[in-house]
Amino acid sequence: MENTSLAHHLILAGLLFVLGLTGVLMRRNLLVVYMCLELMLAAATLALVAFSRFNRTMDGAVLVFFVITVAAAEVAVGLALIVALFRKRGTVQSDALTTLRD
Amino acid sequence: MPSDLSSLVHWILFLPLGAAALSALFLRRAGRIAAWLSTGVAFAIAGLSLQLLTSATAGALTWHVELAKFGSISLGFGYLIDANARLMLFVVSFVAAWIHLFSVGYMKDDQARGRFFAGLSIFMFSILGIVVADNLLMTFIFWELVGFSSYMLIAHYFDKDYAAAASKKAFIVNRIGDLGFILGIAMCLFLYDTLDFAALKDHAAAAGPVVPFAVGALLMCGFLGKSAQFPLHVWLTDAMAGPTPVSALIHAATMVAAGVYFMARVSFLLAPEVLHFIAISGAGMAALAGLCALAQTDIKKSLAYSTLAHLGIMGCAIGLGRPDLALMHMAMHAFFKATLFLGAGSVIHGCHHEQDMLKMGGLLKKMPLTAVTFIAATLSNCAVPFLAGWYSKDAIIEAAYHGGHIAIFAFLALAALATCLYSGRMIRLVFLGEANSEAASHAHESPWTMTLPLVVLGLVYSVAGGFLAHTIIPAGSLQPIGKALGEVAFHLTAPSTIVGLISLVIGFFGALKFYGSVRGADALQVVSPRTYHLLEHRWMDGLYHWYVDAVQRRLAEFVAFLDLLIINGVAVRWIGGGVPAVLGYLTGRSFHRGQTRAYALWIVVGTLFLAWFLIAR
Repeated sequence: MENTSLAHHLILAGLLFVLGLTGVLMRRNLLVVYMCLELMLAAATLALVAFSRFNRTMDGAVLVFFVITVAAAEVAVGLALIVALFRKRGTVQSDALTTLRD
Repeated sequence: MPSDLSSLVHWILFLPLGAAALSALFLRRAGRIAAWLSTGVAFAIAGLSLQLLTSATAGALTWHVELAKFGSISLGFGYLIDANARLMLFVVSFVAAWIHLFSVGYMKDDQARGRFFAGLSIFMFSILGIVVADNLLMTFIFWELVGFSSYMLIAHYFDKDYAAAASKKAFIVNRIGDLGFILGIAMCLFLYDTLDFAALKDHAAAAGPVVPFAVGALLMCGFLGKSAQFPLHVWLTDAMAGPTPVSALIHAATMVAAGVYFMARVSFLLAPEVLHFIAISGAGMAALAGLCALAQTDIKKSLAYSTLAHLGIMGCAIGLGRPDLALMHMAMHAFFKATLFLGAGSVIHGCHHEQDMLKMGGLLKKMPLTAVTFIAATLSNCAVPFLAGWYSKDAIIEAAYHGGHIAIFAFLALAALATCLYSGRMIRLVFLGEANSEAASHAHESPWTMTLPLVVLGLVYSVAGGFLAHTIIPAGSLQPIGKALGEVAFHLTAPSTIVGLISLVIGFFGALKFYGSVRGADALQVVSPRTYHLLEHRWMDGLYHWYVDAVQRRLAEFVAFLDLLIINGVAVRWIGGGVPAVLGYLTGRSFHRGQTRAYALWIVVGTLFLAWFLIAR
């Protein structure tokens, strides 16, 4: 703990975010895309916790609790949507889902 | 401030509101209970008003609560009960009470009695609100409520097209006048920072004789609409589509007189030019409407023109700077015109809903009580000496003569002659001669609920009203009448008396003889069809129709065209639809491939661009 600074935490959060973003843009399986999205959210949360810790306030840490709670609810909805999509279309490959074009 | 008297006013004002709410919410199906509830309340407030009238207190009774304050402007709810208000309260509530009783008989078989009596009660609440109001805003609010209740009651038979159309016409024409009214209120706020009558009066007195012309002119617009003055008089004759008691109460005795009352209340705000206009147009309308009454075969329409004529005379008195005389004529007119309308209602009821005078006749023997009271009220209407109408109408003609307004005097003299002519015609066609239809020959006298109001209003008040007012009721509580009677000398050589007697003899007896000469048709129409058509034709309606059709519709169509061209065409179609179309063409639809990953990429690019833009600034 003595060796870590705010910059380290932020770099880690940034790496996680870019990793997630790359996954969202590159992968085709919606389930994986969704996991990558969650990774991006986790990165943002990490940055928030880091700021909270190094600024000696609890605000960010408390906010994170809410973010995690909401994210849990959101995951439930998102996974349900993917399951429903699979039942209806028989696939979760994003390339096959081009209905928006019309 | 005497608190017991102001609580009296609370009762007077809010009893009818309670009755209306009760009838409208719970008694829709129980018409009989609603009728007697409403009538009981009407008699109660008549008693309370009489108590207020006879309680001789010096000066005005005031009571005020502030409802809202914006900077220096205070809006409130309050009472200003001066001598005029006491008189008006009594006239309105007394006439209304008897008309309520009449309605119990007249509307006996109506399916929607609950709605009708709820309407009457809400009307009572509104008109009493105008009478007691101590500021312009409160007056305006109750003014609009009166318009609403009038609309509702004209449209009582709303399944009939003509009634629905008439109610709309009344409402819209009044709206036009009220636009001026509310602008006048805004102007008062702008100039004086207050809407209180008492404070406005102080301001006007401080300003001396130079009251701004526009304030009075704008406030006058409300009066023109509500009191059916030229050029906004067109709605009143159509308003007769409502049930007859409504015509008697609202469109003859009280509501249309509210405009006169209001003008008397703000008379200190009226510039001389405004007064002059009111006097000339009032006198002109009195003469014209009196003549038009000759060319109506519907008994109610003929009476409506007679009301227009009397409203013109009242307006003329306001314009001559004699609001006291106007109010006195308002009081007298309320009694005898209510009697005339109720008599007409009784006749219509007796003849099984026949309204055409040419199909009546000989009703004197069939309906003696109705006939006697109707004739008594007619004589009062003709200003036969020592009857109610004579005191007030001759006083106004006299005032015009003494003021040196020869044109106004001539118009009023013509109006007096016309009044006697149409009154004689009405008596001759309806009550004398032989029955001209099956319905009239089987006519029957109306029940007591209908004849008792006729007897009370007609015999006691329209005949002896002026005399009673002059002698029995203590001086002081009836200042307007007492003063008017004191100032105008009645003697046989006065010009008004000469004019009155000549027109009475020539007009009344001439009409009796003339209209007896032809049976089953209108004598004037037989003798001179062109004159009859000239009077019957509704020139103002034609003018308004032309204006709306040829001017306003063209303008509206032009504006609609601009809307289509600029808003819908240029703004929506060209810009809103054109930009995406051009972009889509330029990029070869590369945005729209349905690839979710591409969309995600564009979101990232957009976010980065936005972040760069915000940071770079």
